[in-house]
Amino acid sequence: MTRFPATVAALSCLAASAAFAAGPSDAVAVNPPKAPYQKVGDLVALPDFLPGIGELFVDPATLPAGPFVAYDHDGRLVSTIYMIPISQMNADTSFDNLPAPGGDVDHVDIYYNAGHPGVEEPHEHIVLWHVPVAGEASVAK
Amino acid sequence: MNISFCGMCRSPVKPAWPSRMKRREFLWEGGGLAAALWLPAGPAISAPVVEVAMAGRADGSRVWFDPMGVLIRPGQTVRWTNTDKGNSHSATAYAPENFDHPRRIPDGAKPFSSDYLLPGETFEVTLTVAGVYDYFCIPHELSGMVGRIVVAKPGQTDFRPYPDDDLDQVILDGFPPIAVILAKGEIHPEEQ
Repeated sequence: MTRFPATVAALSCLAASAAFAAGPSDAVAVNPPKAPYQKVGDLVALPDFLPGIGELFVDPATLPAGPFVAYDHDGRLVSTIYMIPISQMNADTSFDNLPAPGGDVDHVDIYYNAGHPGVEEPHEHIVLWHVPVAGEASVAK
Repeated sequence: MNISFCGMCRSPVKPAWPSRMKRREFLWEGGGLAAALWLPAGPAISAPVVEVAMAGRADGSRVWFDPMGVLIRPGQTVRWTNTDKGNSHSATAYAPENFDHPRRIPDGAKPFSSDYLLPGETFEVTLTVAGVYDYFCIPHELSGMVGRIVVAKPGQTDFRPYPDDDLDQVILDGFPPIAVILAKGEIHPEEQ
């Protein structure tokens, strides 16, 4: 009689862990991610590896917001990034239901970017890190 | 974030002229001063090739040309180098031929554009027609990444500023006043 509650408890733990510990979707789990993602360096004039970000991919149809997905030198998914133009941060514009394919988020950075090919106006980078803060070193340079 | 910053790079890049003074007022007053004293100086005017860096913070939050204003002689060459490891830049003259921008280069001068330069890449142009050349960075114009070159014969000071051309204020604020360029020879972004 004690096995039943124990099994239920174990299954509950598994369910809970599945709910709170989601890995990345198959489409982006490894570098390169599957279509429609494309390497940003192939789409616009930017280096393949961006210091502080990593090797960046995006579905061009989702520009400018993204999601972009970034990988370190070992092909590990490190972050999902959204790029929101300052000009579109107003009462008449919203970005709803943006995909979040990267799985668990360890922490978030939000910072201003002056622009770059692909998003050629001032915008905010909203970075969902899938690695601990110390793991950011893997894309520092 | 694990992006490292040097102390200089953390702060905003500010124009090197008095921001509180009305810009047009400063132009006229400075122009009179320059005409009276005529003290062109700076290393650029004697250099065979004048170097301009395309630079930015590591996180891309600030970008700039350095020097952002420079005085040269007709026939001198200007070379831009992208020193920004995480971004692309261009040096593109204000002219209708370049993205239908207003013309802000001298009559008779040929518009130039480097197109996008990846980190480490360079572009150079030799400017033979005297006058004021305003230029911009394609992906960063709206962030005020613009520059100005004054090509002047010895003693020449009869330059007039261009009209505002409906450009955004952040762009207009990025052009160092002609008189200051004539007086100083080079204008660098002020880091604070």
